[in-house]
Amino acid sequence: MKEHKARHQLRLGEGRVIVGATFLLIVVAVAVCAPWLAPHDPNEQDLLQILLPPAWLDGGDWAYPLGTDSLGRDVFSRLIYGARVAAIVGTVVPVGTCLVGATIAILSGYLGGIFDKSISRLVDIWMSFPAVVLSLVLMVGLSPGLRNVILATILVDWTRFCRIIRSSVIGLMKLEYISAARIAGASHVGIMTRDLVPGVLPIIITLTSVEIGIAVIVESVLSFVGVSVEPGIPTWGVMIADGLATVFQAPWSLIFSVSAIVLTVLSANMLGDGLRLMLDPRVSERRRIEA
Amino acid sequence: MSDEAQAPIQPWPTGQISGAGWAHLRAFGYLGLKALRNVLAIALQLFAVSIVIFFILRIIPADPLSMLTPGNATHEDAEQIRHAYGLDRPIYEQYFMWLGAALQGDLGNSIQAREPVTRLILAALPMTIELAFCGLGLGVLLGALLGLTAFWYRGRPVERVGETIASLAQSIPDFLWGISFVLLFGLWLNVLPFIGPIDPSMIVERRSGFLLIDTLLAGRWDAFGDRLLHLVLPATALAMIKVALVMRVLRSSLIEAYQDEYVNAARLRGVGEGAILFRHALRNAAIPTVALIGVQAAQTFGGTLLIESIYSLPGMGNLLITAIRTHDLPLIQGISLTYCAIVLLVNALVDLSYLWLNPRLRRQ
Amino acid sequence: MTTLLSPLALQDFAPHDDAASPPLFEARGLTVQAGSLHERPVQVLRDVNLTLRRGQVLGLIGESGAGKSMLGRVIADQLPDGFRVASGSLRFGATDLLALSKRKHRSLLGREIAFIPQEPMMALNPAMTIGAHFREHLRRLGLSAGQGRKAALAALADVRIEAPETVYDQYGFQLSGGMCQRVLIALAFISNPDLVIADEPTASLDVTTQGHIVSLLRALQKRHGTAVLFITHQLRLAAQICDQVAVLYAGEVVEEGPARELFLHARHPYTCALHAAMPNFDGEWRALASPSGQMPGLPEYPMLTGCRFAPRCASAIDACLAEPPVLADCGDARALRCIRPGAVARNAEAENAETNPLSQSKQLAAAPLLKVDNVTKIFRRGGWLSRAPGQTAVSSASFSVAPGEFVGVVGESGSGKSTLGRLIMGLEEPSTGRILLDDKPLGGDEAEWRRRIASIQFVFQDPRAALNPRRSTLQLVTQPLQPGQVSRQQRRAQAEHMLRSTGLPLDTLTKISSQMSGGQRQRVNIARALCNTPRLLIADEITSGLDVSVQAQILNLLLRLRSEFDIALLMISHDLAVVRYLCSRVLVMWKGVIVESGETEAVFSRPQHPYTRELIAALPPEDISKRWAPLAT
Repeated sequence: MKEHKARHQLRLGEGRVIVGATFLLIVVAVAVCAPWLAPHDPNEQDLLQILLPPAWLDGGDWAYPLGTDSLGRDVFSRLIYGARVAAIVGTVVPVGTCLVGATIAILSGYLGGIFDKSISRLVDIWMSFPAVVLSLVLMVGLSPGLRNVILATILVDWTRFCRIIRSSVIGLMKLEYISAARIAGASHVGIMTRDLVPGVLPIIITLTSVEIGIAVIVESVLSFVGVSVEPGIPTWGVMIADGLATVFQAPWSLIFSVSAIVLTVLSANMLGDGLRLMLDPRVSERRRIEA
Repeated sequence: MSDEAQAPIQPWPTGQISGAGWAHLRAFGYLGLKALRNVLAIALQLFAVSIVIFFILRIIPADPLSMLTPGNATHEDAEQIRHAYGLDRPIYEQYFMWLGAALQGDLGNSIQAREPVTRLILAALPMTIELAFCGLGLGVLLGALLGLTAFWYRGRPVERVGETIASLAQSIPDFLWGISFVLLFGLWLNVLPFIGPIDPSMIVERRSGFLLIDTLLAGRWDAFGDRLLHLVLPATALAMIKVALVMRVLRSSLIEAYQDEYVNAARLRGVGEGAILFRHALRNAAIPTVALIGVQAAQTFGGTLLIESIYSLPGMGNLLITAIRTHDLPLIQGISLTYCAIVLLVNALVDLSYLWLNPRLRRQ
Repeated sequence: MTTLLSPLALQDFAPHDDAASPPLFEARGLTVQAGSLHERPVQVLRDVNLTLRRGQVLGLIGESGAGKSMLGRVIADQLPDGFRVASGSLRFGATDLLALSKRKHRSLLGREIAFIPQEPMMALNPAMTIGAHFREHLRRLGLSAGQGRKAALAALADVRIEAPETVYDQYGFQLSGGMCQRVLIALAFISNPDLVIADEPTASLDVTTQGHIVSLLRALQKRHGTAVLFITHQLRLAAQICDQVAVLYAGEVVEEGPARELFLHARHPYTCALHAAMPNFDGEWRALASPSGQMPGLPEYPMLTGCRFAPRCASAIDACLAEPPVLADCGDARALRCIRPGAVARNAEAENAETNPLSQSKQLAAAPLLKVDNVTKIFRRGGWLSRAPGQTAVSSASFSVAPGEFVGVVGESGSGKSTLGRLIMGLEEPSTGRILLDDKPLGGDEAEWRRRIASIQFVFQDPRAALNPRRSTLQLVTQPLQPGQVSRQQRRAQAEHMLRSTGLPLDTLTKISSQMSGGQRQRVNIARALCNTPRLLIADEITSGLDVSVQAQILNLLLRLRSEFDIALLMISHDLAVVRYLCSRVLVMWKGVIVESGETEAVFSRPQHPYTRELIAALPPEDISKRWAPLAT
């Protein structure tokens, strides 16, 4: 009965990973190939053709497959170029956050004592900011730009990684196999790499893949307020902000940019969820038996 | 074995705690002490937070002066501002000047509005609190109902469907829910208002600042109804994630509580399923849910920021966004500090409610 | 005492004269099946016959996994999902329990049938006071709030709780395990039930508390004339308090009869094996013997075509494997499920005759290996704001261990015995005092740590928690070998050597901990500790989670390792019989203090300290003609 459940869970997890990863890879591919895919320059204005609806609707023009915005820029091309920022933010931020958060968490949980206490205090203080507020304030201090967007997002989100991974490390530390390894003569580094990291790896992987979606969201929030990347770079967030201003006349660009973000976020979550199901120790145990 | 670190087992607890009344008294005394400690902790944390904010806004930027001066300022203006903000003094002095004033309730003047920051914040705060309260309340209420339903039908298709919808609702951030609702219910179906806090033609005297209360105080039922209608979309947008989270957490902690031995023991005494759920399991299962509500209460205030902007509500979020767009540094500092103060306060309240829910914590 | 007699059918029976009266509770051919449609059904309980008469105590004996708790679940109509009664009957008085509607069945629970659970600390709702539990229960029995309180306080006084009013307002987690169990017993007896099912009611309690609880249960049972189904894994305990006993193995009743008879003259090979595997506390020291392997798990049941014990049975013949034997009446009020009755008196001779460790005590070297010098450990509690006094776990402990000496540390939970072990290992820092290895005090730096772990090793209580679930046995057993210092072949050779020494099959090398049984895991733990041939092994309750037969295997293993590796052992245990089996010297701990120490035989036969006497009196004697102290009153 149990085996049956584990097999089901494995299959469910694999399905989600495949769907999620496929969409995310498509986004990356689009970002890389943007110059060849986009029919227009994303910033090219055509003031005679503003707020066009998508081509298949009345008044649409196949030169602008998804219509134009209030400055007559091609929504389709902007969407494609917007994938570039999404792809960069969605790769660099998760990796950076994971490295910073997980390293501090494992050190903090393993070493304990005063180091652990001060880290916990720091995380507490960090967490008393609503995440949006902290990232906005950070962007005001750092001034806009892609690098700073990445930096600000990592600076805000490492605490979440840190707190979750630390508590899981603390849970592992209570298990006697850590003491047993120490008695067996393992070094501190050995315990951290052989006993702690494998134990928290499933959580790290899940958190990191979910962070892909969060990074894209944070970028769009910052764009929405107007403190994101350098002006002139199209992002999905900028498109939302522009689209919201003209929502009464032409909701199209808004709908497309929101959908792009939602789909990316959903895929990231599916990937994370799927990996969580697959990395569940009960399931990986089963895979081991089969292997 | 860890249990050896705990208190020795007293075969006869006589004389330890005598009678329930005393125990309750002690619990309340403990509660008071705990509250005092919380207040102290909040003060300390706010102090730390103020340093962080100050550091980010005054030290990281290469040229705080240019951030402080509006674009159209003359050289004299700039000098004046430099002096007014003490930028010609050492950084720690600047900080303590700011802190000293802040402790007296003076967060400086807004550069753009040329009004005290405190007054601007106090004017905007009720709108934000009202929105956050409604959003969170709606989320918890719906989430708890759905969580109980999902638990009751555990293992059946109903639960699977609920789970799928919940994971969808949880994935999408609240500001995207806000935009989607505007598009769907506001523009397309055109069934609900989505601009402003209330119909502009309904003018109600401002007393508490909370529109729901002010309309009632004025006896204007029509305005109250209109306010509720205006609240539906933004509050629901804020509630979506909470509904999903509360539902999932409540369901899973109920499932966990049902695996506890005391549920089995109650069943073996013949206690009915309804009593087991509501009397035995729910109170224990509520503890993680309350913890979640605490975290989410803080998140909700962050969420109001963008929702206010989308729905043109004159709250703190809109104020902050305007301040950021106009580089109004004193206002940005003041508002972010206020947000943190609210979050810390909410967390402290949640902490106290644990004690009420979980008798185990009342012991020292 | 409150009498809340139920108006239901069972009152109709006339006062009975023992055997002639119809049984109060009777199972006939009861078979419980598990398994969904696409899997082969497993017979979790097979052909169970039990009879319990009014006012009698029926003991149900078996190791974990024998299915003894499953019977309770059938009676309570609370089989887990996927389990169902396939055949047989279950009668309670005139009622057919299997034919009752869910609703009617539930209305019996807590009224005519009451349960006493296994883990008292867990069985009380942490969000409800003791009083709230009573209010809920008594409201269901139809008492008003005022009457209820009175009845509850009387019931609490009845279970010998000294301050019922205080306890009434307390929460379960504020009470000790024994107190919780008293409360639960009071809850069970308050409705004056006809049948009480006590499922290992003392398994999670200390020895001395066990005595109190059992004597209380027996007294209440006698006073109310209640029939009790007493589920336990302790043969001796059952022999003391039960009238009838049934032995369960892998879901089958293998032997049944009057408790005394069955205890003195076991007939089934399994019952004999249980006897032979149990270390004795009084009488001559004797070597333990235990059948190989352990009880099969549910997935293996379908493969066992014949007698389910046959694969482990020393006297099994081909016919035993052919078809399942039936439970046959022996005529003398006993029943047996074995086709070769009388073929064996005792199952298998000791695999290798172990020598009495007590006789070796004289040959020990004089210079101590380890010396514990006035060590105290105080645990501080709370943060910097709390002024709570520390908890003294170990107080001024001094003793030494000679090379090759087996020393036992006994005491109940909270006595500080585990902390003592952890202090010696270096897992905790002593607050004051010194620990000397080879007459040199052990310091705290890395070099000293290396010196410590080269000589001292530790085996943890919970074998599962002590093994990294992601690493193979090969990696775990050779963990003490420093990477880089040994080749892969050496590593493997050493692992194989350790597996052979600890009696594990070689295919265990590639397995991870979840693929092994509890006994195998503990062997891996021991193998890892022995990998670098330490001179002192600290074993912290290493058999307390294991079944008797597996425990015997581990104990014999330790004796054998003693001659093979010449190690000393510090055996931390709550079980006096285990310590007596292994150790030549014993320390008795009570509330952090070593209250008595000396040669095992001397301490146990002539205890000086009152606490030691209490501990010894709490053990059910092996010679059942002796009165067990808790029941003497």
